[in-house]
Amino acid sequence: MLKIKDLKATINEKLILNGLNLEIKPGEVHAIMGPNGSGKSTLANVLSGKNGYEIEGEIYFDGINLDDLKIEERAQKGIFLAFQYPLEIPGVNTNNFLKTSLNSVRKARGEKELDTLTFLKLIKEKVKELNIDEKFLSRQLNVGFSGGEKKKNEILQMKLLEPKLSILDETDSGLDIDALRIVADGVNSYKNKENAFLIITHYQRLLDYIKPDYIHVLSAGKIIKTGNSDLGEQLEKTGYANLG
Amino acid sequence: MKQNYDFDIKQIKNLSMEEKIFRQKNLDLFYKSGFPSKQFEDWKFTDLNLILNKNFENISNEVNFESNKQLEIIKNFEHNYIFLNNGKIISTSFAFEEKNKILIKDFDQKGPTNLDSGNTLTLLNNALSSGGFSLEVNKNYKLKKPLVIYNYFSKDLKNKILNNKNSIKLNKGSELMLIDYNEGHTQSNFIKNTIDTVSLDENAVLKNICIQESKCNGHFYKYIKGSLESGSNYENYILSSGLKLNKIEIEINLNNDNSSCSIFSALNLLEDQHQEIKTRINHNSPNCKSYQKIKNVLNDTSRGVYQGKIFVEKIAQKTDAYQLSKALILNDDAEFDAKPELEIYADDVKCSHGSTSGSIDSDAIYYLMTRGIPKEEAVKLLINGFLNEILENITTSKVKIFLEKILERQINGH
Repeated sequence: MLKIKDLKATINEKLILNGLNLEIKPGEVHAIMGPNGSGKSTLANVLSGKNGYEIEGEIYFDGINLDDLKIEERAQKGIFLAFQYPLEIPGVNTNNFLKTSLNSVRKARGEKELDTLTFLKLIKEKVKELNIDEKFLSRQLNVGFSGGEKKKNEILQMKLLEPKLSILDETDSGLDIDALRIVADGVNSYKNKENAFLIITHYQRLLDYIKPDYIHVLSAGKIIKTGNSDLGEQLEKTGYANLG
Repeated sequence: MKQNYDFDIKQIKNLSMEEKIFRQKNLDLFYKSGFPSKQFEDWKFTDLNLILNKNFENISNEVNFESNKQLEIIKNFEHNYIFLNNGKIISTSFAFEEKNKILIKDFDQKGPTNLDSGNTLTLLNNALSSGGFSLEVNKNYKLKKPLVIYNYFSKDLKNKILNNKNSIKLNKGSELMLIDYNEGHTQSNFIKNTIDTVSLDENAVLKNICIQESKCNGHFYKYIKGSLESGSNYENYILSSGLKLNKIEIEINLNNDNSSCSIFSALNLLEDQHQEIKTRINHNSPNCKSYQKIKNVLNDTSRGVYQGKIFVEKIAQKTDAYQLSKALILNDDAEFDAKPELEIYADDVKCSHGSTSGSIDSDAIYYLMTRGIPKEEAVKLLINGFLNEILENITTSKVKIFLEKILERQINGH
């Protein structure tokens, strides 16, 4: 599904990713761990198409060179990034945003756009699954939301857009244990043989709930170690300093 | 500069000798200085004389009020209406209200006029005013449905000026939502010079919403003078983008305790449109509140102006006054000017003001695009969000939906 070959990314003349290789197949859950500044969020940004990076190397998603796709086209093709810090957008109604988003994606996929009522029925179901208060739909997008609400909103969007590849950038940060469980349940219930996850995290905590098939350790813009879920527990004990 | 106008009070019919003298006096005074130019502080961002010279040939006040146009009623919500053609009443309907609670008639031009004559447009209005309406709501009567004023303009207005005066009086405890609806499809260049007098008695509530529905070559100037008695509340919403030139000057006098007013404006300006909101809120009494939120989105070579003054008298203790102007500038050739002013003589007051202008938040666009929304749509969503904020206090849901749709149309360029 995703193939990254010798990826280098530079921003403001600073080399952040330095020859990263990664392959993700359908049905897999990959976790990327690593210390601050190792390039974790940059990887997420580059995959989503954020401007400002100079890129070398190749990224293929379902056989398409990502370089050829604009930000919104990547989303339409099935790449979803759950933000570490979801943006607060005053004035933009959450429900209206979600509907615009889903319909943009549906349109690009050649599916029929949903009318207001059909959408409302759908979104209400999804909201319930994630244990979110319905009132949140009529609020301004992320404005005044608690950390937990913002992250739940990201997962809600993921479940709504049904991406093939979901990248969760530090989704566990700022979550209390209950919210963490709800978020993890949301991910686990969406997981299937067709889709894949790339979970970027500092801590083992989230990986107790979402079991990864592979854990990669990122350091100075490169993957320096890959292992199974035991690696996370090991890192929790010894830290990153003893690796590489 | 050349004079590009020729006004004649003979165009106004059925005037008494006394009226003729009064009008001629005002016209003579107008002729001394002509249309305001940027030499006047109040007009420094809107050089009306220059703009009119550029866009008009020989302006005259010869206006025909007859109309055979069919009124197209807004279907989105139930309402009463007044139908005006070139500012004159053609028909009215108060089907949703009790009888004898509302008085509506042609504006009495003979009535006393005590407006600031420092503004030459006021002089011109005094000289040439015709048409217009007076509206009065009885004590404690709360209108069940909004009242829409349909402003229609005839096609033959090229190089014409309309001068109207309107008065709105709400007696003690009465309530009204008044929607000023401009349906200006006309392509011809014309000027409209209007003076609205608003008077709210104790505990009266007026919500006044001004809408310009379509693109129009009209050059509008409106002066609203409001006087508020204790406990009354005046809310003004301006969604009138689409006019070539628009200047709305609002003077509110908070004359008695616990009266309050708010002004909300959401304008999306395109091409070379020029709009100015100028306010003066006079806190003449203690414990009054005023709130202003002015939002402008500027495209192309448009220009937006906000001049806002809060004046607090010495006796007006415990005043709570706030004003904020925010502009989104989407093009390097667009311009926004803000001139906030506070003049405070009382010592126990809460007054604050702020003004920001900038471009659209690129991080927000990125966030929306990662959700599959194309850039153009994302920008529209953000502009919509930016402007929509001013509608948060409108609680009548059908009207709110209607206004949201108007904003959406504005953003799509009508």
